[in-house]
Amino acid sequence: MLKPHFLAIAAACLLLGAPLAGPARAAPPGDACTACHPDLSKTLPQKHKAVRGNGMASCTPCHATGQSGEAETNGFSTRLHLTHVPPAVKGDCAACHRIVPGKSFGLIGQPFSWGAPKPADLKLLKEEFASWANSDFTDHLHAKASVDCAGCHGKGLPTSDSTVENDRCLACHGPIEKLAGKTRNVEFPKRNPHSSHLGDDIACTTCHHAHAASVVYCADCHRLWKMSIPGAAK
Amino acid sequence: MSNKDLSRRSVLKSVALGAVALSGGTALNMAVPGTAQALVRKLPTQWDETWDVIVIGSGFAGLAAAAEAAGGGAKTTLLEKMPTYGGNSIINGGVFAAWDDKWHYREKLNLGADSPAQHWQDILKGGDYYSIPELAKEVADGAADALNWVVEDGGAELRPTVTRAGGHTAYRTHAAKSGVGREYTEALRKIAAKAGIKPTLNSEVTWIWRADADPKSAVLGVEIKRGKKVLNLRANKAVILASGGFSQNVEMRSAHNPRLTAEYNCTNHKGATGEIHKFAQAVGADTLQMNFIQLYPYAEPETGLLDAQAVYPFNGPGYGILYVTKQGKRFVNELERRDVVAYAQINLGKDAKPTWSIFNEAMILPMGGDPEEVAEGLKRGRFIKAESITELAGKCNIPTDALVDTVNKYIQYHKDGKDPEFNKPITPAMITLEKGPFYAIPQWPAVHFCMGGLRINASGQVIDVFGSPIPKLFAAGEVTGGIHGSNRLGSNAIPTCIVFGRIAGRNALKA
Repeated sequence: MLKPHFLAIAAACLLLGAPLAGPARAAPPGDACTACHPDLSKTLPQKHKAVRGNGMASCTPCHATGQSGEAETNGFSTRLHLTHVPPAVKGDCAACHRIVPGKSFGLIGQPFSWGAPKPADLKLLKEEFASWANSDFTDHLHAKASVDCAGCHGKGLPTSDSTVENDRCLACHGPIEKLAGKTRNVEFPKRNPHSSHLGDDIACTTCHHAHAASVVYCADCHRLWKMSIPGAAK
Repeated sequence: MSNKDLSRRSVLKSVALGAVALSGGTALNMAVPGTAQALVRKLPTQWDETWDVIVIGSGFAGLAAAAEAAGGGAKTTLLEKMPTYGGNSIINGGVFAAWDDKWHYREKLNLGADSPAQHWQDILKGGDYYSIPELAKEVADGAADALNWVVEDGGAELRPTVTRAGGHTAYRTHAAKSGVGREYTEALRKIAAKAGIKPTLNSEVTWIWRADADPKSAVLGVEIKRGKKVLNLRANKAVILASGGFSQNVEMRSAHNPRLTAEYNCTNHKGATGEIHKFAQAVGADTLQMNFIQLYPYAEPETGLLDAQAVYPFNGPGYGILYVTKQGKRFVNELERRDVVAYAQINLGKDAKPTWSIFNEAMILPMGGDPEEVAEGLKRGRFIKAESITELAGKCNIPTDALVDTVNKYIQYHKDGKDPEFNKPITPAMITLEKGPFYAIPQWPAVHFCMGGLRINASGQVIDVFGSPIPKLFAAGEVTGGIHGSNRLGSNAIPTCIVFGRIAGRNALKA
């Protein structure tokens, strides 16, 4: 757990010329990687070039923040989050993030904001991140493939009623015919969840839930069929 | 209206108005189950969305209503609570009863005469005259036009035959090319799409807003749950309820018809749970005949599924199909109505499950069957095929002597033109069960359709408990009651839903 380190924050802000996030009193534990990683060079990959500064702002000029809205894999955000949220460490969002509940959510030392999550949204984000980093569900399958929130949710922070449209899933997994090919039942060709009597435009999220157990919708009626789905409850 | 009714109404009205005076904007409502006491819900002070017409449910009736409303220029939204569109309609068996003046399968196959008047009389008789005649008449009169609409405007395709289904006195039941209701939901979806309508999924109605029970007090809109959000939607012209029946709600169905416990399978999709009936009742809507709930006699015995193969026993009687018990005996007139065939099975006792339908190759095409469907059914064990009745009996584990005896008698009855055992009317179109190959399919009743529901008039308006139409509230399809009386004849559901969906959609424009 990071400890408050006001001087480090102040130093980082001075160094990077960025405004302080919110009142100093409520300042997060620190933008300083060095609070936990005294020797950054040991944490960075061996061939990584020398880094000036010790905060997120030192990274983002080269590493996109993962909020590009593109469905990219192995993004910087993915790698950083996987190593800084449970179960890797008992991480604190505010170690890196500049958070003013209900107003803004960005990175310490940087002026942009990705949204204005309220305390309840922040709680949810933390829960979903924990699930993403370690669960039996589809979110963790994506984490393992180095796909983070933005990979599915696009730009901006997802909210409690966010859903993911088929186009987004199909950008990586499509086209639908390819999926239908993967789940083709040779013996009973009609028994194909990706080409069923419910139509090809059925929402992927009908069965595939990201932050909860996925369920085979077919089985609601076709109770005798034995079908499996990735990300199902264990 | 009696004085008693008047005084009850004024009491209800004054209670509602009193509450309005206290809170300045209370909705007419009863307790929200588990969350509130009577008359504590406040009307929304602002609306998240405003529409002319809000349609609830995306089956046949909802799609037809939305297509008509939007096609007539109303800003319309079509809400569906499930993650897929189409409700029960998309998994329905695809049979469509209509007197017809366009496709002429009946004439081409020389199957006799028919008329809307005859269809109307069949509906009334088939429901033991509990039907409200003017509602049934709308269905019979509008069926052919509804069929033409989905075929011509929506691109639905039919198999080139018509069947005579149980309780019908004419060969008027059309079969969808795909063998399922999707043929028509897709057609209606296309028609609706042309009017700019796309069902909004995962949007569950959780309340209907109305200020009080005054006959002039219009429905204002609905509360919905979409994802984790609760939204209030205003309807300037109308709310159209097309939410289907309640067959999947065991508590509700057995409250009205205590026999229909969880012991029975159900052919319906999971969403057929009837909460809209209750919300409508909570704002004053009347219901009728809620205890009339139909069992589909030929569902897949283990799961209650109504797959394409489970439609064959229903389509077969007009062409000579035979029903037998697992002892190989007949138990009913095959041309009987669904309720009669279902209870004839149930009355045999639980151990009688399953009974069997037996038909031969020659019947398949006339009864609207499809060789590919038969092949698929054989492959997954739904149909059993044999070259002789003896062989078939062996494969179905039916006593051979009994089945052979039953079939021989049955053949003789057809030759004689008379069925002394069960009085089945023998028609020239019926094929005798002489030549193989023979087929068998197991069957057992499953809860299928709610004849009862919200009281409407012939304009599709929902009627309140005092007999007045509730302004701006319409209903169509299985959520309504009184059209089919105690028993809906098979293949009358699709015309009912489309005809009344269109009526509601058109009248919503004028509301």
